[in-house]
Amino acid sequence: MSLSIDRLSVLYQENSHAIQALEEISLELNSGKCLSLIGESGSGKTTLALSCLGLLPKNALIEGKISLDGRQIDYSDETSINQMRWDRMSIVFQNGAANLNPVHRIIDQVAEPLIYRKNLGRAEAIVIAAQTMSEFGLNHDECNRFPQQLSGGQIQRALLAMALIMDPEVLILDEPTSGLDAVTKTIVANVIRTARSKNKSILLITHDLEFAVHNSDTIAMLYLGQIMEKLPSGDLFNSPLHPYTMALVRSYPAMNTARDLGGIRGDAFYRTMHQHGRKKGDAYSHIHIQSPDYEHESGHAPPTGCIFQNRCTQAVDSCRTEPVALETIGDHQVRCIRHGIVSLLSLKKVEKKYGNVVALRPTDLTIKAGEVFSLVGETGSGKTTLAMIAAGVLKPENGTRVFDGQDMDKWIRSDYKSLARQTGVVFQNPAESISHRFTVFDAVAEPLKIHGLYHNEGESHKKVKEVLSHVHLSTDKSFLGRYPHELNMGALQRVSIARALVLNPSLLIADEPTSSLDPSVQAKVLKLLLDLQTELGLSMLFVTHDIGLARKISDRIGVMLQGQLVEIGPASLIIDRPTHPYTQLLIDSACGLSPAFSHPGPDVVDNHGCPFSARCSRVKDICKHKNPPLLERDQRLAACHFPLILE
Amino acid sequence: MIDRITHSAPRWLGMVIAFGLTALVMIYLSYLLPRLLPGDFVTSMYSSSQVTLTAEQETELRAYYTEEPGFYRYLARLAGLDWGYSYAFLTPVSTLFFSALPWTLLLLGTAHIVSMFIGFVVGVETAWRRNSRLEKGMVSFMTILEGVPEISTGVILLVLFALHLEWFPAAGANTAYAELSSCAWLIDIGHHLVLPLATLVIAYFPGNFLLARNSMVTVIKQAYITTARAKGLPARRVRYAHGARNALLPLVTRFGLRLAFMITGALVVERIFSYPGLGTLLFNAIKARDLPVIQSVALISSLMVLAIILGLEIIYRIIDPRVEYAH
Amino acid sequence: MRIRLGKELFEDRWFTAGFVLAVFFAALTLFGPLLAPYDPWNMSFEPISAPTVEHLLGINDGGQDIFSELLYAIRNTVVFGMISGFVALGLGVFIGLTAGWFGGLVDIILMRLADVLLAIPAIMILILTAALFRPKPVVLALILAGFMWPTISKTIRAQTLSIREGLHIRAAKQMGGSDWHVIHRHLMPELFPLYLIGFAAKCRMAMFMEASLAFLGLFDPSRKSIGMMISYAMKYYYLDIWWNWLLPPIACLSLLIMTVTFLAISLEKVLDPRLKNTLKERAI
Repeated sequence: MSLSIDRLSVLYQENSHAIQALEEISLELNSGKCLSLIGESGSGKTTLALSCLGLLPKNALIEGKISLDGRQIDYSDETSINQMRWDRMSIVFQNGAANLNPVHRIIDQVAEPLIYRKNLGRAEAIVIAAQTMSEFGLNHDECNRFPQQLSGGQIQRALLAMALIMDPEVLILDEPTSGLDAVTKTIVANVIRTARSKNKSILLITHDLEFAVHNSDTIAMLYLGQIMEKLPSGDLFNSPLHPYTMALVRSYPAMNTARDLGGIRGDAFYRTMHQHGRKKGDAYSHIHIQSPDYEHESGHAPPTGCIFQNRCTQAVDSCRTEPVALETIGDHQVRCIRHGIVSLLSLKKVEKKYGNVVALRPTDLTIKAGEVFSLVGETGSGKTTLAMIAAGVLKPENGTRVFDGQDMDKWIRSDYKSLARQTGVVFQNPAESISHRFTVFDAVAEPLKIHGLYHNEGESHKKVKEVLSHVHLSTDKSFLGRYPHELNMGALQRVSIARALVLNPSLLIADEPTSSLDPSVQAKVLKLLLDLQTELGLSMLFVTHDIGLARKISDRIGVMLQGQLVEIGPASLIIDRPTHPYTQLLIDSACGLSPAFSHPGPDVVDNHGCPFSARCSRVKDICKHKNPPLLERDQRLAACHFPLILE
Repeated sequence: MIDRITHSAPRWLGMVIAFGLTALVMIYLSYLLPRLLPGDFVTSMYSSSQVTLTAEQETELRAYYTEEPGFYRYLARLAGLDWGYSYAFLTPVSTLFFSALPWTLLLLGTAHIVSMFIGFVVGVETAWRRNSRLEKGMVSFMTILEGVPEISTGVILLVLFALHLEWFPAAGANTAYAELSSCAWLIDIGHHLVLPLATLVIAYFPGNFLLARNSMVTVIKQAYITTARAKGLPARRVRYAHGARNALLPLVTRFGLRLAFMITGALVVERIFSYPGLGTLLFNAIKARDLPVIQSVALISSLMVLAIILGLEIIYRIIDPRVEYAH
Repeated sequence: MRIRLGKELFEDRWFTAGFVLAVFFAALTLFGPLLAPYDPWNMSFEPISAPTVEHLLGINDGGQDIFSELLYAIRNTVVFGMISGFVALGLGVFIGLTAGWFGGLVDIILMRLADVLLAIPAIMILILTAALFRPKPVVLALILAGFMWPTISKTIRAQTLSIREGLHIRAAKQMGGSDWHVIHRHLMPELFPLYLIGFAAKCRMAMFMEASLAFLGLFDPSRKSIGMMISYAMKYYYLDIWWNWLLPPIACLSLLIMTVTFLAISLEKVLDPRLKNTLKERAI
């Protein structure tokens, strides 16, 4: 049995304005499959659930169609809808106990549909209801209680039993696990699994990403009434294509990532529009933003254009004006003018030699907009070289560099300054990277001067102060006039970060920004970088030798050894189960364990072999002669002939 | 410790005790009060009325009020329906009381039942049609009607239908001295009942309607109503078994609270239509300054109200499981 | 917040209607004696005469000008209602606050007392008292107030209980605010809407009682009251006194009670926090 939602739009009419809850939603629920709808509050998910059952209030304007098994449901025919309800499609609403009538016993409420829809006798209906409820673990005693006498988990089970009592073909679950214990979660998961095996279709509305990924086939991301992305569940954590999906995943406390929560900057729009005798089929008039409880407006939503643009990490001007529709990219469907998360920086086969010494072997590196990428490795691994090539400071021998879609080399030749504006660099030693002759103000304002943006004294003062407050430094005159030797290292590094940010770059490159700091200060600066990344929507390339540090801050990690990348992939996967022995070594050292897969050996290695072969305990002959290529394994790239794949 | 005592006993026990105490206090007061009045109130008691007492009657009366039978004997007498003697009407008070009681019960009882039932059903149905013209009109109309006191309605109905149009009799509960067969007798009673009944129903109905409607409006917004609709249950079941059933509860509570004040209206209506119920009895006794009657009617009817309220509390506990089973 | 409430109130038709009527009756109450053309106790006119220009509503059976009677009667009813309502409000708020704030035994005792008082039909006590002791009307108003405070105190108590648990109270206490400070600055303003609603409802009830008691003849016959006027007028229904003697007091009484009813209902609608219908209720 399949449920098909085709371009559904729902508008709630208030007195003088209307609120758009859903806009042109199209979803397919196929039999035996579960679709998860993920959205935060205000996204319209409950409206969607209610629409399927025809339970929207009278002031709702509905367009589009919903079809069950290919036949369109006519929501104006109350009798036929009532027949359809519960029998072919049922729902478990959120908020548990509120959905049960407090003056009737739960067994009566579970049996009720059997009595009044199937005309069974009361005794018979009660028997069937009791049996169903016992399958959910509710014994005879509990069945006869009133809703307020039961716990949250018991109520949820009763609601599930009630929803399944007429054996519907489509089951909608609205936040079935929020606030509930693990046992109930398991029960819900079992219900989904059993239903799938019986070829039912399930719509799972949830904000529990883990649960969604483990129990559904497809995931649809709902934001402010529009679908932003549809993707296979397995791709949610590690390869989302829409900036919103990525940002939401980052906001989610998962067990296997240790990256601190990010959140999404800004506030969502409130989509209302003024009604001026709007009839069905009329084009939407101008859309206002209105926060009904606040006096100020939170910004104007464009009548066309992307509704996520004010919070997106890669928004450009056309995002504000161009209409945007769902397009198919691979096995995802993405609503983004820029076709999903763009690569901000793309390096292909860049290499660097200093005379005979190979600092960097031909390497590919991609940094996506809005992500934090960490390059981890020992000294001499080539990570700084790679970072500096990415910054445009070093020129590679070969290879191509593309920044924001444009060839970097050409760009550098024609107009280096405009490229420099896009990238901010924070160096390792703040005391050395800031001239000791400059005051704080001078240091931070230097980029403005260089780029000729220093015309207006007032403006630039404002800018400097603004950026200093971003890094939580004082903005009064006395501080602005301080010299580097008067500040401690933590403050100095912050000045250096402020300097890197003053031109609003889209990429921040930080080369070991905390190695020369005390641990307590290190923590604060790292936290600052993370907050900035969320607030300003920056992409970051972070260079460090400490994989533990990288774990705390990155979305993706690239492990470098002797001038090449040996493993690249999502941070959670790499830390959780590394495939390259070297990565494992780094992790073990960070934990203070003696390294598992290595033994000390000479560093010099045959140029054609695997760079780790000298130290690797799993080394075989082939490792010494053939440098393993980076191959895709277990959702990341690793260069090893005998990777650590869990058997 | 007080907490433990109050928590362990069954809830209704506290209520029964409270009401029992109240009853006793009221009876005691009615026993006590006359004995507190200045000595020769007996003389002045009937003085401003048209009743004159013979010396013999006066002594009897004085003896009745100054004797000290003790509270327990007073209670016993009350229970034994010995409520004194009325010198204005020259009959024992209990006789007067029981000849008037059935009429009042008939009038008040029917009025309350009819207005509650109609008010509830109309209120529930109107609330279901929220924001329609019907609903808005009904609410406005009922609000205005609520402001019209029983006196006004009664007098208007009396003058219009009884005096001008002469469709209904203007006084009495039945035609006096008429020898009617039982069927005709019932019709006659009904005929006399219409106007006072109409007055009371018009007076009680708006309050019940508005209460039912407001309560229902709150209930309709609840999540379990959406669930009931989602279950595809027939509309009537949703409206009554789920909606009205829950809307009923505040109605029952507030009804008890209003009961004590509704008696006033009943008194006035009986007087307007000269309906021979307790109200008229009381009124005449007041005019005649006949203390024994006034005292007894006041006391007994208060006790009856007390009993009714106690009954309502028990009913409320039965229909709302949240009270019994609250954690 | 107060200013916005004011605007909301005036947008409600019932409130404007009630307000206009209230102003009208307030004027009559205050200036009644001045407006009356004759002394209402002056019995020198020709009994039971039809209305003329000099006697707008005619003359009653005792030779008194009905119009002047009516003006004095309205004043009596309104004053009775006000006094009773006010005292009931004061008692109700005080007892409700005390019970809700201190809780425990105090609460139990006070609420039991309230329950008892609610069960006793006030009219009976009033009748008994009026018949036995013939007190001044003020005394009866006070006794009536003694029966009306329980409902007010229950509402106030319920609201106090729920506010007392509020976080802003806890914050104030944590900052060192005394009980008095909390009650004064936080609780009372929150209860303000309930005062208005309670007062309007009780005032209405009291006026109704006054009219009924007067109708039943329980006041001093020389005291002018609408109920009494109706009672006398009804005795002469067979004469053509319908328009000038019977209808005006009925109309005035009805309007008076309607005034307060409208005010009470609209206040309840606008100010009662529980009946608020907000945007957030509809789940998105």
